[in-house]
Amino acid sequence: MSFLIDEGKNIQHVLMGNEAIVRGALEAGVNVATGYPGTPSSEVIEAFSKVARKRNVYVEWSTNEKVATEVAAAASFAGLRSLCVMKQNGVNVASDFLLHLASSGTRGGMLLVTCDDPGALSSVNEGESRLFARLLEMPLLEPGDFQETKDIIRWAYDLSEKIGIIVMLRSVTRLSHASGNVRFGPLPETAARAKFTYDGPLLDPVTGPMISMIPARPEPTHGRQQEKLKLAKEMFETCRFNTYTGPPEPELLIVTSSICSLYSREAVDVLGLGQRVGVLKLATTWPLPNKLLTKHLASTKKVLFVEEVAPTLEDHVKVIAAESMSEIGAKTFYGKKSGHVPSVGELNPDIVIAALSRLFDVPYQPVPPAFSEKVKGLAERYAPVRGIMFCPGCPHRASFWSITSALQLDARQGFVCGDIGCYALAAFPTGFSTNKTLHSMGSGSGLASGFGKLKQFGMDQPVVAVCGDSTFFHAAMPALANAIHHRSPFTLVLLDNRGTAMTGFQPHPGSPTDVLGDPAPALDMEKICVAMGAKVVVSDPFDLEKTRKKLNRLLESTEGAKVLILRQACALSPERRAKKKYEITVDEDRCRGENCGCNRICTRIFGCPGLIWDREKKVSRIDDIICTACGVCPDICPAGAIIKKEVS
Amino acid sequence: MKVFGAGKLVDSVISAGLCCGCGACINLCPYFHSYRGKTAAIFPCNLETGRCFAYCPKVELDPDALSRFLFKQPYDGSPLGAFRSIHVSRAGAKVKKRAFQSGGTVSAIMYFALRSKRIGGAVLTGKQGLLPVPSLVTRPADVFRQSLSKYAAAPTLAALNKAVAEGYGNLGVVATPCQSTAIAQMRSNPMNDPAFKDPTALVVGLFCTWALDFRRFEAFLAERMSLPDIVKVDIPPPPASVLEVYLKEVKREFPLDVIRAFVPEACGYCPDMTAEFADVSVGVLEGRPEMNTLIVRTERGEEMVREARRLGYLELDELPDENRDHLMWAAANKKKRCILRCREAGRLNGEEGKACLRLSAETTERILK
Repeated sequence: MSFLIDEGKNIQHVLMGNEAIVRGALEAGVNVATGYPGTPSSEVIEAFSKVARKRNVYVEWSTNEKVATEVAAAASFAGLRSLCVMKQNGVNVASDFLLHLASSGTRGGMLLVTCDDPGALSSVNEGESRLFARLLEMPLLEPGDFQETKDIIRWAYDLSEKIGIIVMLRSVTRLSHASGNVRFGPLPETAARAKFTYDGPLLDPVTGPMISMIPARPEPTHGRQQEKLKLAKEMFETCRFNTYTGPPEPELLIVTSSICSLYSREAVDVLGLGQRVGVLKLATTWPLPNKLLTKHLASTKKVLFVEEVAPTLEDHVKVIAAESMSEIGAKTFYGKKSGHVPSVGELNPDIVIAALSRLFDVPYQPVPPAFSEKVKGLAERYAPVRGIMFCPGCPHRASFWSITSALQLDARQGFVCGDIGCYALAAFPTGFSTNKTLHSMGSGSGLASGFGKLKQFGMDQPVVAVCGDSTFFHAAMPALANAIHHRSPFTLVLLDNRGTAMTGFQPHPGSPTDVLGDPAPALDMEKICVAMGAKVVVSDPFDLEKTRKKLNRLLESTEGAKVLILRQACALSPERRAKKKYEITVDEDRCRGENCGCNRICTRIFGCPGLIWDREKKVSRIDDIICTACGVCPDICPAGAIIKKEVS
Repeated sequence: MKVFGAGKLVDSVISAGLCCGCGACINLCPYFHSYRGKTAAIFPCNLETGRCFAYCPKVELDPDALSRFLFKQPYDGSPLGAFRSIHVSRAGAKVKKRAFQSGGTVSAIMYFALRSKRIGGAVLTGKQGLLPVPSLVTRPADVFRQSLSKYAAAPTLAALNKAVAEGYGNLGVVATPCQSTAIAQMRSNPMNDPAFKDPTALVVGLFCTWALDFRRFEAFLAERMSLPDIVKVDIPPPPASVLEVYLKEVKREFPLDVIRAFVPEACGYCPDMTAEFADVSVGVLEGRPEMNTLIVRTERGEEMVREARRLGYLELDELPDENRDHLMWAAANKKKRCILRCREAGRLNGEEGKACLRLSAETTERILK
């Protein structure tokens, strides 16, 4: 049983931020939790799945973030407390529904939890979800530490129910994935009954239908939404999660939120500026509490904004300062716009220290230069030089080997539209630099559908799109439907590795089990594509030659959209990790090494980490520890020097 | 000859559209492959020198060095290259009459060479539909399955390289002029490999004015007929000036001027009509479609022809002067056109690793005169 449902007085646990979110929601009596996997958000639903039965919570990995939000909203409409969770890019996907949801309002408390990824450590870009709060007009909370993350959730549900609107709670990687002490509160009774009431008056938010707008009459819904935000703002003025530490009249006021509040406090402490600098940590960051901010702005002449990604607080607080300038006087602002804080990437205490030491002319050196030099030297000496690459035995490496070969042999400058998943790495040498576009979930297929229609303008390059099994259900199906209907002759290579592999094997609609491990109807992608009207061919990517031939034939066909399903489980999947199928060895006498006739194709091009180039002997070797014995490299070797023997 | 590596070959030949698809670079390594008439490097090789570049007939071709290697004499740019004798020929009585192209001289020589075990295998070019497909033949009777002209460029030397890698030696090859040139370069051991052994015992060259780009030719025909119905493709000797496509029931004709649009760029950079670096060269004989023209160039070629004739596999006759003159005129014209094209493209001598052809000023002048 998960410690997340421990009960008793004064229980403390060290929780990841994402676990604190779950405990907070459980203490608030959440009934339904949904999400789509995406780092750094994935642990929330995973943690919920472990306590779901015991706490009577309905949990699901939804097909995509928009559906997750809709499923959670249904619970809210039926009077339950719900939560949907996603990474920042997911909010883009959900935003269409969210705009309407913020307008129609909610009934049972509902939270949108977004875990942003400043620095894009696990994302294709550094998205900023906070701006959605302003755009879609919904309240935004940003807890500053682990205890607060847990505690603020119950408050957020009360807020959501009081004003009848979804509340957005934003975490970031270093809050979601770091851990801290959290003191638990009591868990409520789990009994809850759902019923959707709709027979009241059209505009009655409690008993009427849930409708986001009345045609040509924005006043009832949009006006009501703005009233709700006004109410939220009033509550924010006195919210206990907005805190100030520092002297009454600081020389400089730091305005910050989220994990940056910890960096700010540490920076002030390290530089010994506690008597000169105040830290205003805001947990309620949209709409901003005007009065609270005006009071603090009045106490100082200089303001430094410490926040990650977009200058959101910076912009919004400056508006408040401008509006109240006649009362509080002019201020000097520092932050991303002044260049004191970087405008891209994650922040950390050193960055905040650097900003403060510059502003106060306090010298500070994070580490002595000699130490830095030593670290650099050791890293260069001992850390293996490795590019970003597919795992040993990854089926994507084999798939892209065949895709690249087919496109090169086709010789019409064909290319691949990439998509979101581990296979996005095929834009790099590990996937032979085959992907030439990379955007959002499913957009590889949409772009390919478009490229396929440019023949009338003289474009005769064959177009391939790739997508994984989870991405197929998430967003590629509409693009494929578009291509089939418009006879766009592209080839979708569906890299079916049997799970949402990149984020940790979460199930998807094609999986035979659900988030709780219970059997679930698995949707058959092959049949779906056939039913949609595509020509479908299936291959095992580990059979390089067959796969390449099948793809070449598809590339030559001009009849509309085609689908090649490459089916092979992820190298990290339990079925692949269970047992090595082959014993793989290298015959050193046969290995041609760097000579004309090979030039190290296995270690230089194929590049599986399970293959090692022996610099002294000038031959390739197998790294038995990490080799998964997928059996592909023997087929790459032109000299038959890599030998596979079936293990009995 | 200056030898570079695969990267230069890709830049100077393949990407420049000058690859003739001969197959000389294929099956030496895992990088170069032929697919539907086109040669591609599927992954980059960064070696500074390689056999792929050294064997390629489209870059850094030094006819003088090859002539000195094969014939022990300098290259003088004469229209038919170095030769010992020239004849009219056809298959002899020992060879059953079949549907040969012209006189069946090529099939007769290969058949004889295999039967008499003078060669251990024959690298020939058959076809699948319209696609020429090279193969290694070891049974004499199988030679006849591969007869008839192909017209589309074929990666025949891929099969030669494969046979060599599999340990075959003493091979006979039927090769176009570009392929004969590539084989001659291979035989000269340009990489100075101490373990190198000439894998060929006989190279039978074919006269060639140009070949067709398979993909474009096939697409052209596919728009006009059902490809599986094609029985045979032929270009009858002048003055017909048409390409004939025999379908099951009918024959279709296309003017050569239309078909020439599918001649790859590479053929314009070829100075050789009569496979000057082969052991013997064979082509049509104008005015007598049942006969061939046969040029004997090397000692081993001469020996093969003499024995084939003696044992009744080959019939020889004297080549009339007017045929010889016309052949020389056509071959000289091809040389001139090539030199002018190379010069225009900056590929006559010039930049190392990019030049198609290396010729002395005197030889150039002699050819252009």
